[in-house]
Amino acid sequence: MIKTSSLFILFLCVSALHAQTKKGDVLIKNGTVITITDGTLENTDVLVRNGKIDRIGKNLKAPNGVEEVDATGKFVMPGIIDAHSHIAGTSINEGTSQVTAEVSMEDVVDPLDVSIYRALAGGVTSIHLMHGSANVIGGQNETLKLRWGSTNPDDLRFEGAPRTIKFALGENPTRGGRSRGIQPQSRMGVEAMLRNTFSDAVKYRDAWNEYRSNKSSRKVAPEYSLRMETMVDILEGEVLVHCHSYRADEIYMLMKVFSDFGIERLTFQHANEAYKVAPELAEFGASASVFADWWAYKLEVYYSTAYNAAILTKNGVNTSINSDSGELIRHLFHEAAKTQKYGDLSDNEALALITLNPAKQLGIDNRVGSLEKGKDADIAIFDSHPLSIYAVPQMTFVDGVKYFDIENDVADQRIYIDPESTVENVQIFYADDHDKCMEGANVVNFYDLFNNK
Amino acid sequence: MKILRKTLFRLIFILPLIGLASSLHAQSDPTGESPATRTFAITNATIIQAPGKMMEEATIVITDGLITAIGKNVNIPSDAEVLDGTDMFIYPGFIDGMANTGADRPESPERPDNLFTPDPPNYYAGITPENQVVEQIKVDENSIEAMRKVGFTISHTVPYGRMLPGSGALILLRDADHPDKLILSEGSSLYSQFSGAPGAYPGNTLGIMAKFRNLYRNAELSKSHSELYASNPTGIARPTRDRVSEAFYPVIEKKQPIFYNASNSLEARRAMRLQKELGFNLVLGNLQEGWDLADEIKSTGTKVFMSLELPKEPKDSKEEDKSDEVKRLEERRMEFYKKYVTQYAQLQQAGIKFGFSSIDARANDLKNNLLTIIENGLSEDEALAALTTNAAALLGISNMAGTLDEGKIGNLVVSKGPYFDKESQIKYVFVDGVKYEYDLKTGARKAEDGEANPAGMQALIGTWSYEFTTPQGTQTGKMIFTNESGMLSGIMTSSDGTPDVDLQNISFLNNELTFDFSIDAGGQSIDIVVEGVVDGTSYEAEASVAAFNVSFPIQATKDEA
Repeated sequence: MIKTSSLFILFLCVSALHAQTKKGDVLIKNGTVITITDGTLENTDVLVRNGKIDRIGKNLKAPNGVEEVDATGKFVMPGIIDAHSHIAGTSINEGTSQVTAEVSMEDVVDPLDVSIYRALAGGVTSIHLMHGSANVIGGQNETLKLRWGSTNPDDLRFEGAPRTIKFALGENPTRGGRSRGIQPQSRMGVEAMLRNTFSDAVKYRDAWNEYRSNKSSRKVAPEYSLRMETMVDILEGEVLVHCHSYRADEIYMLMKVFSDFGIERLTFQHANEAYKVAPELAEFGASASVFADWWAYKLEVYYSTAYNAAILTKNGVNTSINSDSGELIRHLFHEAAKTQKYGDLSDNEALALITLNPAKQLGIDNRVGSLEKGKDADIAIFDSHPLSIYAVPQMTFVDGVKYFDIENDVADQRIYIDPESTVENVQIFYADDHDKCMEGANVVNFYDLFNNK
Repeated sequence: MKILRKTLFRLIFILPLIGLASSLHAQSDPTGESPATRTFAITNATIIQAPGKMMEEATIVITDGLITAIGKNVNIPSDAEVLDGTDMFIYPGFIDGMANTGADRPESPERPDNLFTPDPPNYYAGITPENQVVEQIKVDENSIEAMRKVGFTISHTVPYGRMLPGSGALILLRDADHPDKLILSEGSSLYSQFSGAPGAYPGNTLGIMAKFRNLYRNAELSKSHSELYASNPTGIARPTRDRVSEAFYPVIEKKQPIFYNASNSLEARRAMRLQKELGFNLVLGNLQEGWDLADEIKSTGTKVFMSLELPKEPKDSKEEDKSDEVKRLEERRMEFYKKYVTQYAQLQQAGIKFGFSSIDARANDLKNNLLTIIENGLSEDEALAALTTNAAALLGISNMAGTLDEGKIGNLVVSKGPYFDKESQIKYVFVDGVKYEYDLKTGARKAEDGEANPAGMQALIGTWSYEFTTPQGTQTGKMIFTNESGMLSGIMTSSDGTPDVDLQNISFLNNELTFDFSIDAGGQSIDIVVEGVVDGTSYEAEASVAAFNVSFPIQATKDEA
């Protein structure tokens, strides 16, 4: 009885949560509809009811009260998904420990970050808000829908998306280790730390399984560890791993470690040298989320090529292109287009890099990533083909609700404003934005604070 | 005749006893500082017993720390010190829902050698929930008098520290020779904040949220383990002593609430998220951005102490040819200022009975801030309720404080004129039946008329060369104080070429100079409060940054005219 009523309360809570996020109805008329999974359809309409794609076809009629959007001459595509983002978070790294599987970006979602609106203006509808790369096993990430305008972080959660976690190999976590005088200080140490932590998780799982199967009323529980709970969930396939990595040798190393522990769902982030081990990645079934053409910002990122995404795609590796940046996120369609110059990918292959493929990497491809009946109405409309250098996003919908419209693009999009802020010092862009992976990994610098420069 | 006899009988038999009692008292107080009587009567006053319950030309009697009589026809005890309450308004003593009042900020723990950053010792991580605030309380802490002077009589004082500094206590803001004597009740809260350990785990919100859950879950397990062991130890592994877990036991039993210092809306939501997951009783203290939170506060049953700190009212640029964009930005900034100052009335309307917390505010700003809140929609009665009855109810002390009723603690605020009038001044504050008297200032008005330019001001006016010492080096420049028609005004220049800043809230009294200013650090405005003493041409002060919980020294010398 108690169980039933608590389930009922849970149900009420869940429905209350769902009720909070807005769902829209709209009929998008007469556009060129790029479905990703079912070709490109000319002069086609997309009908959205209650946040879902209800029909895709010709000459659809708008039901009573449903707004019509004329997309004549325009291109309608699935909302762009960024598999690696650090916008909309108030903290990025808990870099003080080299294993922090217990921390979660869901605790630090910042719905007030104006970068969300800027991303919407680039046709992006979902992001993977990732923990930083300061530690070997970083925190859990959070998959978000860009429901701009709410002040409640929970409204942005991609409800039902699988949990994911950030791992990191190479220079970043070893730099953290060396600066703090702790393990790991080398790539060897990284592997040892991974194996040790998973071995600890196996022991932890055994201890709790033994406790749960113990029928005695006088049993004593083992110590609880949120960190180990998460590690066990990784072992059991409930948490998908996204690993910051650059070099082929360390990419290969992690696949071996995961094979040994029986973990299957793995996406390599950045993975600039993934092209060297593309067949091995395909065989493992691992994915890669890469930059189009960005490298040489530290030693381990020199051996890179703009053909990376194309080589991976041609080898059958599920590949996406990500931003890792509040600036690149605004034109991921340009980033995808680069694979046509470097690798001759087809339109559909190139656009899948920023839609369906990242959706698969995040485990949300049953909901988003393509325009199909029954999927969420997360849609971007462009004035010309999104792979054209002249393409400008016109409208962006999440759950059928329009969050960006270039015709109604209010200049000051801030949701909260500090009354004590100075009007003169509006900062639109800051130079350090590019390497946010390491943000927060360092201690506050008082010189910068008081220098006021 | 009967009456006379009775009187004589009293004179003969009882008075000597009283005399004996007082002479005993005198023996234990060689300083002679004990009050001559602990009985007071304030007569002919307007008494606000509780919000909305006013009595005119009434008398209140306080005996031995308690309110013993209140009303129009009250017998005044013969040993009472009688105070004329004409033109006086008497209110229940104010109650501060969350503050550091009386606590002395301990030195920040030194970074241990060879610190293992993933698992620092608890004292460095800031995880000391087993500590009691009484260990930090100093009877001569300036903040006690500073808060009392503005009408506060009881403070829910929480300890300084990081993530889990310890438990708070209710203290009476009176004089005492030992901190124990200030304590009204201990263990009023388990105090928690989003402050990470510098360069060690938990370093920020991410780690703090996870660590909190981990501590709580283990405390639950540890509690069942200890109970099992206590019921019959045979065959049960002996639980090891764990004071951190033990500190959570009363919270798990819902006998003690968690007070979370959550100033912004995201912090408040995080605290409520923990509450929803773990199920403890939550009180949000120091809430400064609550206008979007009414529904969530109500649905989670969270209690709230709103901050008495307000942002400064923005000043629009006076440039004549400012662009439309600047005008729009200024309008939106003002729109948000209004959200800060009107949220109190809005939450009240939503049915949330909040109290006030002074933890991020300065004592001298409290009244002005209250008046601003009232100008923006909160009624005087509602403001008084937040200061008294609501706070008492939220802290569970309605049976001893919050109203002026017989049997309650003798905590009173006596002001000349209605307290919420801008011009009113506090004449007496009674705490625990002890009288504190303040001089009524008449100078303020005169200065306005330009009659008296406080002579002391001259000592300050001119140019001073200052030097800040921060861990990253020193910063130098000039402070220039001027007399702007009787008001002190000042700017601060910096020799590194950064723009001048205006000095705000300059106060120069009895050689104590305090002021504050804001600097822009990466688009964020940081407030710095400077407090120190002027000795001739030298100024020694401390600049503190509440936002980062740090302070550093500043020295200045006056340049030759």
